[in-house]
Amino acid sequence: MTSPAFLAPHGLAALHAAAAAAGLCVASSASWPETDADGEVTPLAGFIESTFSPLIAEVAQRALRRRDQHSTPGTVTAIVLITALGDVTSAASVAAAVDAGRRVPPLQFFQSVPNAVAGYLAARWHLTGPVVCVSGTSAGLVLAATLIDDADADEALVVRADLAVTDGEIDRAAALVVTGPDRDRPGTPRA
Amino acid sequence: MTDAAAVATPPAARRGSGSVVVTGAAAASAYGRGTRALLAGVQSGVPAFAPVSRFDVSARRVGVAAAMSGSPDLRAEVTRTVGEACDDAGLSSAERARSPLFLAIHGNPAIARAPEADRPALGPEALAASVADGCGLPGEEIRCYTSACVAASTAIADAAALIARGRADRVVVAGGYLVERDQFALFDAGRVLADDGRVRPFSAGRRGLLLGDGVGALVIESQESARARRAPPLARLAGWGRSGDAYHPCQPDPEGRGMARAVTAALQRAGLAPADLGYINAHGSGTGQSDPSETGALRLALGDAAATVPVSSTKSLHGQCLEASGVLELIVTLLAARTGLLPVNAGFLGADERCQLNLVLGEGLAATPQFAMSLNAAFGGANTALVIGLP
Repeated sequence: MTSPAFLAPHGLAALHAAAAAAGLCVASSASWPETDADGEVTPLAGFIESTFSPLIAEVAQRALRRRDQHSTPGTVTAIVLITALGDVTSAASVAAAVDAGRRVPPLQFFQSVPNAVAGYLAARWHLTGPVVCVSGTSAGLVLAATLIDDADADEALVVRADLAVTDGEIDRAAALVVTGPDRDRPGTPRA
Repeated sequence: MTDAAAVATPPAARRGSGSVVVTGAAAASAYGRGTRALLAGVQSGVPAFAPVSRFDVSARRVGVAAAMSGSPDLRAEVTRTVGEACDDAGLSSAERARSPLFLAIHGNPAIARAPEADRPALGPEALAASVADGCGLPGEEIRCYTSACVAASTAIADAAALIARGRADRVVVAGGYLVERDQFALFDAGRVLADDGRVRPFSAGRRGLLLGDGVGALVIESQESARARRAPPLARLAGWGRSGDAYHPCQPDPEGRGMARAVTAALQRAGLAPADLGYINAHGSGTGQSDPSETGALRLALGDAAATVPVSSTKSLHGQCLEASGVLELIVTLLAARTGLLPVNAGFLGADERCQLNLVLGEGLAATPQFAMSLNAAFGGANTALVIGLP
């Protein structure tokens, strides 16, 4: 079994490397788990059964809190979620209910796409930039750079989250707040 | 607020200087395979909704969708459609091999039922790689978009942004969703499906959305690339905009401020005034909250032009195609504008004072707009606006 202490920094390192390759500056970062205290992720009101959305919310808010000192009022922040398989726990729960002829809980509908937790973060932190979900780390950071280059956003919250697939693995997530190389701010002219 | 200037607070949208064109399109929907079937279907004004026979719906509140006959396979349908779009664009094998695939797709229902160790091989990237391989597209630079109902429109905007900045010459953008039992059960549980079996966007008495099969693909490239290989553009991808509401995990901003910013950004990139738009293919989900929000967005972003530009939501005809919506609806927009008959906003029962727009009602509207816009919105408050210009 691979240790949590190895997995989380590895995910964060991959995000940092992709950010650098995309020409982005990192304003703050976070991961899950970061310390031995990161046992079970805190549940998120309105999201049930799966740790997928709570995990994203936790690492995202860690990164956002750490970047607050650098943030400027009026900053437009995009959200880029990266996940290879998405919320497989919720998908499996829904599939099991459907196959057994059981009722699907209505809350499962509202968390059936990764956008929902992005909307939670956007509302709570007033992140008014685009919301995008993609499957690859490199694509996600290149996309963030494009959004910043084209003034769709001043900065981007980029989160990678992957639930454990097999026994012995753990859920893992990492987040960055990234800016353009010149830390653009609203109204800054740029060629 | 109805002043268009009131939403122009974000920084002006930027873009690269290159012109972006569409040179190939292909689609499949409940109206059948091919863009001709899609165009004929939406221009007929007859909705494609029918009782679902693909899987058991006896335990559901609603049992209606716009589905192709039988049980088509998503991988096969996307592969066929991408191949047809490449053929439509006249791409050679060598040109295909340099055209990366951006694919908008929902999670594969098979993942949820597969042994855990087998799940990675069933993810979106595996499906995209299979499609790319089947169509002669490169295995590198594949992107998969899973942003719900703005997945495909976001992929189109990304492709346009990259091409405009000269970072790509050509991208094949595709989206696919086929009505299946898990999403159907979820939407039914969420009580958002129309229990009267019709989608009635912007209408009094609207009762929700209905799902629909949708597969679409576009070849998007730089004008220089198209010229160099003497490929006639179907349309120019003139502008694109994206935004977030920052309002709620799944409900739209009631005032439509987020979508208004996307519309404004798309017009800025296209260099257009609101009155230049000759048609809007609305998101128009037919739900209680979304339609007034979208109306508010159009009033904010377009000002007085919101009362005059023709608007229809073709979800009233082909249904809600989830991740594929953006590409299927842009294809509808493009084909309708080119052929001079704007699709009707079907299912309309009467005016809702919160949805006062110049809807295309009764039958299609004969018009040849030079510029048209396609709008999409999704959970998470995600919004997109795409503007095409006819060559």
